[in-house]
Amino acid sequence: MTEAIVEGLKDRVSKAIKIHQSIGVIVPVNNYSDLFESIMDQILGSKDELWIYLTVTKSYDTIVKSYKSIADKRNVKFIDCISRAAGISRIDKNCVYIESPVLLEKIIIEILHIAYDAKKDAKKYLVVDSLSALMIYNNPETVKEFFQHLINKTRSEDIHTVTIVIEEELDDYMNKIVFLNEKIIKVKESFI
Amino acid sequence: MPESQLCSDTQKVSIGIDELDVQLNGGIPTGSTVLIVGSSGSGKTTLCMQYLVNGAKRGERGVFFTITEPLFKLTKNLEGFRFYDKKLVETGMVNLIDLRIISERLGLDSEKYTVEDASALLDVLRDIAEELNVKRLVIDSITALCYRLQTREMIRDFIFKLGTSLAAMQCTTLLTSEVPPRTFKYSQYEIEEFISDGIIFLGDIERRGDLIRTLQIVKMRGTSHSRTKFAMNISTERGIELMPLLKS
Repeated sequence: MTEAIVEGLKDRVSKAIKIHQSIGVIVPVNNYSDLFESIMDQILGSKDELWIYLTVTKSYDTIVKSYKSIADKRNVKFIDCISRAAGISRIDKNCVYIESPVLLEKIIIEILHIAYDAKKDAKKYLVVDSLSALMIYNNPETVKEFFQHLINKTRSEDIHTVTIVIEEELDDYMNKIVFLNEKIIKVKESFI
Repeated sequence: MPESQLCSDTQKVSIGIDELDVQLNGGIPTGSTVLIVGSSGSGKTTLCMQYLVNGAKRGERGVFFTITEPLFKLTKNLEGFRFYDKKLVETGMVNLIDLRIISERLGLDSEKYTVEDASALLDVLRDIAEELNVKRLVIDSITALCYRLQTREMIRDFIFKLGTSLAAMQCTTLLTSEVPPRTFKYSQYEIEEFISDGIIFLGDIERRGDLIRTLQIVKMRGTSHSRTKFAMNISTERGIELMPLLKS
């Protein structure tokens, strides 16, 4: 059952991201792990595409523990915004550590650098996991401005973005931000 | 002549930090004296070294006069940066000089300089710049140098004469200016900024307890420029990088 759900989500996200420059995925907290798994599946199956995974939810270390092979994939780069703030100090070739999730400008700089280093003809994807977690560390106005910058910059660099939002944390403010995306996918518990 | 035309006709010196050059409409007008203002750890020395190294890579010789830091410490710190190339120092494209040693050799080791002492030091700086045929010069820091000049008039005279003679050699000068953190002062003696052609202010802002480095071009004669505040990132991999600061 779970496999079918993960496959279904993977299919929806992968189709949407190919058509739209930016998609927002609103997911109930109970189904976050299915969505996460479906994105990881997609990333692990990719070869020529560049995937940038901005994580504010799980540390890179935690992700690697579940998906060991991801540490050696050359076309995947992580930006971990929470490990350093939690006092975890390590160096990994596939991960850029940001000292604090408050350093939003630095996050954009690192995203663009990873994209610039990629092959010119490679399709580039960015996953923001998640907008809800960024809101914990920053004030909503700053996150809105950050997201506007991010959408503009990624659009100009032809990077397609997937932004995750936890449904239960979706307030008026986050609603306005997530609707800056071209396409919204609402994952319903009933769907699952 | 319209200002835009005037600006486009001015010869520019590229700093070598892309976003900063864009904000300066191509770079600093050649022959200018620019104050790089900031508190301790704000990135003044890094910015100046990046300016010299990038110039040297374009074939423009440069000299860095240090007063605040011994040479061995300076080079040790620089070696951590990818932009730094030891060969540029070995081949004389970037010259690192401890000004305290020069002062001692000139017998200027007293606490306060007389007018004659200041004049002798000025002559030596000019001679070195001429002899090495440098197009880029840095004094780190003008604050430490001014400390030894006894009056505001001496400071004004020193910087004015230094700037004028270096401009005649088509040499573009950066002077670092130390200020206490979180102050809206551009210099310790509040005179340096009036004689300089440009001011680049390195500061910081606090966001939820974290400090974010900022850079702002306050003034730059001879070119139109942005006055927007940028977030500044310093990394050993790429040196200084700028991104528009989120204003909220």
